[in-house]
Amino acid sequence: MNLTLKVWKQNNAQDQGHFESFQVSDVSKDMSFLEMFDVLNERLINEGKEPIAFDHDCREGICGMCSMYINGRAHGPWNETTTCQLHMRAYNDGDTITVEPWRAGAFPVLKDLMVDRTAFDRIIEAGGYISVNTGNAQDANCIPVDKTSADAAFAAAACIGCGACVAACKNSSAMLFVSAKVSQLSLLPQGDPERKDRALNMLAQMDKEGFGSCTNTGACEAECPKGISISNIARLNREYIRAGFTQE
Amino acid sequence: MKWSQFFSTSIGKKLLVGATGFFLCSFVIVHLAGNFALLSTDEGRGFNAYADFMGHNGLIQFIAWGLKIVILLHAILALQLTFKNRAARPVKYAVQPGNATSSWYSRQMAIMGSILLIFIIIHLKDFWYAMHYGDLDKITYDVNGKEYANLYKSVHVAFKELWIVVIYVIGMIGLSFHLIHGFKSAFQTFGLNHKKYNGIINFVGVWLFGIAIPVGFAAIPLYIYFCM
Repeated sequence: MNLTLKVWKQNNAQDQGHFESFQVSDVSKDMSFLEMFDVLNERLINEGKEPIAFDHDCREGICGMCSMYINGRAHGPWNETTTCQLHMRAYNDGDTITVEPWRAGAFPVLKDLMVDRTAFDRIIEAGGYISVNTGNAQDANCIPVDKTSADAAFAAAACIGCGACVAACKNSSAMLFVSAKVSQLSLLPQGDPERKDRALNMLAQMDKEGFGSCTNTGACEAECPKGISISNIARLNREYIRAGFTQE
Repeated sequence: MKWSQFFSTSIGKKLLVGATGFFLCSFVIVHLAGNFALLSTDEGRGFNAYADFMGHNGLIQFIAWGLKIVILLHAILALQLTFKNRAARPVKYAVQPGNATSSWYSRQMAIMGSILLIFIIIHLKDFWYAMHYGDLDKITYDVNGKEYANLYKSVHVAFKELWIVVIYVIGMIGLSFHLIHGFKSAFQTFGLNHKKYNGIINFVGVWLFGIAIPVGFAAIPLYIYFCM
């Protein structure tokens, strides 16, 4: 099939940026969205033009790098998929596809479709860890964890930090990301010692980075490639209240 | 962590917006219950006595001033958050998702809230200001009886004007969509998200606060305009 791509082109963080149109012909329905970009980029390189810069790494939906905002949707139209898992059978011959970078003040565009997501790293540094002594690993199962909590923690830990929640949120809020990271640790006994500081410090860093606040529209949950539930945001709110009411 | 710090973060401000929102939800129930006395054909005997009591009882006056502060606090904090949220995305998307990922009214809380705020100002000027500082007609129901300000009459006169009825209906449409999202959203902000209770919270938010109460409020000017 033949497609028209309208892609955001921006030389660097200071550049204004603009949309540029590209014709892509003979696209196979079995290609992934990124493979279609590979074909286009190869052609651009052969023509002596600059290829379109985009982030990608694992190409199996677990690294969270492939940030593309496709026709108004983070990672395209399919539910619970990343851009690398989106296949061209989602489109028809003659379609025009608009591809934009994640838009958020806290995620500045570096080049074309690549954005700087180190704001997430700084939020993790603020409290998304547990402190353990070095030495041999403990015996398995020496700390009892009930199945329900273990499952809920694991579901939260599925977050790959891709930033689709921020991209999809009308407020560019990072609450789904922060809540997943707070939840995965606060649900487990290993995360308990730093529980209060974690909630307070990670939220403070989120605010400092310039992300918006949550208005509970649910757009993040709808776009999350890992199906992280907004019940985690309620848990973050509870963690914050618990810490704020008891921490001196 | 100091209380001032606790309430100045994004979640802290939202907790205040949610708490004031819950208080305002309880207020609309009381206000609507009193309003039904307007539909009586007793020439305002019941309604004017009720308005007189509400206007002169010390405890109620205290709560009434608290209510105005709560409305202002709710509006100021929500607007503050809204402006910060808008600023969080300096460059907008060229293509928007529309309603594919969220409901339109959940995205338009600030617009619905602003419609409500303008409505409340008009409403207070029309009736609350007239009752307390204006010179309404006086009416008495018994020989040598107490004189009441005839708020009943002034409401009935106002609701015979089509444009006033239209403003009130628009205000209540704003209230409806504001509460359909706002009621359940406040529970989520307080961390109260539980599979066993989400259904009932959503039901009460949509059917009681989102539909029954705004329809009840809007029915009064419509009934007076068309049927009385």
